[in-house]
Amino acid sequence: MNNKMPLKRIALSMLICAGTSLPAHATVTDKDIQNDHLTTDAIVTYGMGLQAQRFSPLDAINKETVEDVRPVWAFSLGGEKQRGQESQPMIKDGVMYVTGSYSRVWAIDARTGEEIWQYDARLPDGIMPCCDVINRGVALYDNLVIFGTLDAKLVALDKDTGKTVWSKKVEDYRAGYAITAAPIVIDGKVITGISGGEFGIVGKVYAYDAKTGKQAWVRPTVEGHMGYIWEDGKKVENGISGGAPGKTWPADLWKTGGAATWLGGTYDPDTGLLFFGTGNPAPWNSHLRPGDNYFSSSRLAIDPKDGKIVWHFQTTPHDGWDFDGVNELISFDYEENGKTIKAAATADRNGFFYVLNREDGDFIRGFPFVDKVSWAKGLDENGRPIYVDENRPGSPSNSADGKKGSEVIARPAFLGGKNWMPMAYSKNTELFYVPSNEWEMDIWNEPTAYKKGAAYLGAGFTIKSVNEDFIGVLKAIDPKTGEVVWRYNNFSPLWGGVLTTAGGLVWTGNPEGYLMAFDDKTGDVVYKFQTGSGIVGSPITWEMDGEQYISVLSGWGGAVPLWGGEVAKRVKHFNQGGTVWTFKLPKRYAQLAKN
Amino acid sequence: MRNPYYLLIIYFDEQQVLNYFLSIKNSFFLVIGVLLTFNGSCRSLDDIVSSGKINVAVYADYPPFSFIDDDKATGIDIDIARKIADGLGVKLELTWMTPGETTEDDFRNYLWKGHIIHRNKADVMMRAPYDRAFSQKRDDVGLLVNELVHMFAPYHRESWQIIHNTQILPKVETMAMFQYHTIGAEIDSIPHFYLTSAFGGKLRENTLHYSSNAKAFKALEESEVAAVMGIRSQISYLSQFVDRNQFSLATNAFPLIGKQKWDLGLAVFSDYRALAYEIGDVITHLVTSGEMEKIFQHYYVVYEMPPYYQH
Repeated sequence: MNNKMPLKRIALSMLICAGTSLPAHATVTDKDIQNDHLTTDAIVTYGMGLQAQRFSPLDAINKETVEDVRPVWAFSLGGEKQRGQESQPMIKDGVMYVTGSYSRVWAIDARTGEEIWQYDARLPDGIMPCCDVINRGVALYDNLVIFGTLDAKLVALDKDTGKTVWSKKVEDYRAGYAITAAPIVIDGKVITGISGGEFGIVGKVYAYDAKTGKQAWVRPTVEGHMGYIWEDGKKVENGISGGAPGKTWPADLWKTGGAATWLGGTYDPDTGLLFFGTGNPAPWNSHLRPGDNYFSSSRLAIDPKDGKIVWHFQTTPHDGWDFDGVNELISFDYEENGKTIKAAATADRNGFFYVLNREDGDFIRGFPFVDKVSWAKGLDENGRPIYVDENRPGSPSNSADGKKGSEVIARPAFLGGKNWMPMAYSKNTELFYVPSNEWEMDIWNEPTAYKKGAAYLGAGFTIKSVNEDFIGVLKAIDPKTGEVVWRYNNFSPLWGGVLTTAGGLVWTGNPEGYLMAFDDKTGDVVYKFQTGSGIVGSPITWEMDGEQYISVLSGWGGAVPLWGGEVAKRVKHFNQGGTVWTFKLPKRYAQLAKN
Repeated sequence: MRNPYYLLIIYFDEQQVLNYFLSIKNSFFLVIGVLLTFNGSCRSLDDIVSSGKINVAVYADYPPFSFIDDDKATGIDIDIARKIADGLGVKLELTWMTPGETTEDDFRNYLWKGHIIHRNKADVMMRAPYDRAFSQKRDDVGLLVNELVHMFAPYHRESWQIIHNTQILPKVETMAMFQYHTIGAEIDSIPHFYLTSAFGGKLRENTLHYSSNAKAFKALEESEVAAVMGIRSQISYLSQFVDRNQFSLATNAFPLIGKQKWDLGLAVFSDYRALAYEIGDVITHLVTSGEMEKIFQHYYVVYEMPPYYQH
């Protein structure tokens, strides 16, 4: 009699354990991170694998079964702080880790959608982020959830409690710095870039010991600046980026060259290289800084051990259109004449798609991935743009009254043929799925903007749509030929990430609020779900308890609504939001499909 | 409708006001301006007076206009803000602004939409441009860019200024001197743009840039540069801290600089014209009585009266 109750209790507690299935103390190891692209029950990297192909081997949800996919829970990020939600969720041991606007983080039970903990960064009044108060996601390592804040800190939280384990000031937010990208962890080092205010900054890549937050190295991304490495706690000089100052910059402009590393990086285990992109050079007016202005608007291959630059490839030398070079570089292999080519691809702001040799940065091929590029006739054999000189905005000093430089209509607009939103690569179709936008801009330099009541040098932009019926275009692109295999036109600009799966599907969301699945070969829309607010986040898929799940954040915002004029008219009626939507294919439908 | 002042206007004058505005040319936006006053939700003149305080937005860390010295708010704009509060018979509260990329950002963050984190707004903002081309600027679909703010009461006229080391460069006759002498400027300011692009880029290699005018002055004192070019108020303010026997304010012209002079005033949310009229009276008195010039002189800053008052 006395024994019965405890036994029952033990049985009950065992059941509960089975319910939560995995051991509560599993931590994320370097091996978990390196294998993330192969494992289906966890997502522990931004990009669903260090190469950031955003390809999942899961195929339970496929062209046949997708119609039976259904939402299983929705989680509100709450509060009045509903702004752009550009995050990619992570999954580990049945827990989802996701960031939201205003530097907030949640741990959510991935089965039920119940909150486990929430962390709110205490942001100072003085932050002035350029392009909405967004965050793109966390890094997971050991028992830590690591993310960057709008006041330019890296914060590591305990994965079980959400309490701060370490916090590190990367730069001073008062100088205009912020962090919005997800960090990346390579061999125990957490590596991040930085968003910079408009002028006076120098882009850098920073590495810290992921467990302690101790700095490991820092690498400036502007020619002429010294890099450092910490040896036994001592800061040691580690070589000047580009060898010496001023080779590609006039006078002392290299001192404040810009080239912010605001979108983070990817990594390739084959070559052991980190790939970081860099932003446009400063000052804005290109006529003030003749030269290529290294390493602005470039992709840099960096050794994660010491932060040395191994190679660089500049997409827009001497940028005059605000074409940041930050877009992700995705490693992939392909066969050509019986040989495996170790390539990497990127779809740049400037409208060109580049395929590079990822071992040495050599240009293999490039082609426009947007319908029209106005500022360059094409790329030469080294991948350097062949400029259309008349399409560079003029210098105000050359105008008759010194008031406004000549205005040009340039395409794509400075928000880019593709902006931050990550594309995906399918190993099955060997195609890249690129979220692009068709727009142009009136652009000019003028010396009469006001700032703090002072007359300042300004750049004028007006973004304009090109087509009545669409701006956004999701394109399936063959990296070997440049062929556009299919396209899907979207009325408003596309601003969310893409996911592709072995189930033959391509997933993305649009500002109109739909999560959509496309047939990866034909581009037919095979599934659509209205999430209630615009999607500017990146979808993920994983497997839990034998069922395939999909998650995406819904919450309209980001840079697009901040720009006025014609494009804003297309999007101004979209409502704010802040919800994690999670879907699954119930087991019985997956089995039905197999029978 | 909480605001009895506007209720009065509506009660007595609505039809008359509308008829009046409809009768004049280009009245469309004026009518909108009037309609906006009917649903004000932040602070009107009456709310300010009844609360006993006014909140004035000033730029943080921006000498000689607004900065903290010895733990105390100080500067030209702070002194003017105090006079405004005194004129309205209320206490002064300050909002320290972090500038956005443009003045339009600052209007949004501090006057009409509110701060991005806590949504607080100020009642009035200092150092708004008083420039018809700017206040009437339209976007590509023809709408007024700054229709949510009213810019008024210019309180000084700003210009450019060079200070030079007379031991190295005794006289700055023309800008051509800087083909042979170095000159410093604040990065991305108009002086920096001017020095690196004007005259076919002939001054570019002699131009050094600094993150602030104060840092450029340090370089001037250490003979790293022979001169510094900047905004006249800042250069004249900083000149009090250097040996005036060795460093002198130049009187040269700035050919082809685009904007030679410009006026600075204040801004309020467009609903609150009445507040603007009241503050406008205070500023007019300060300018015409010579008190404004005294405030500027107190900081060693060259004062020039805006042409608005010169009639």
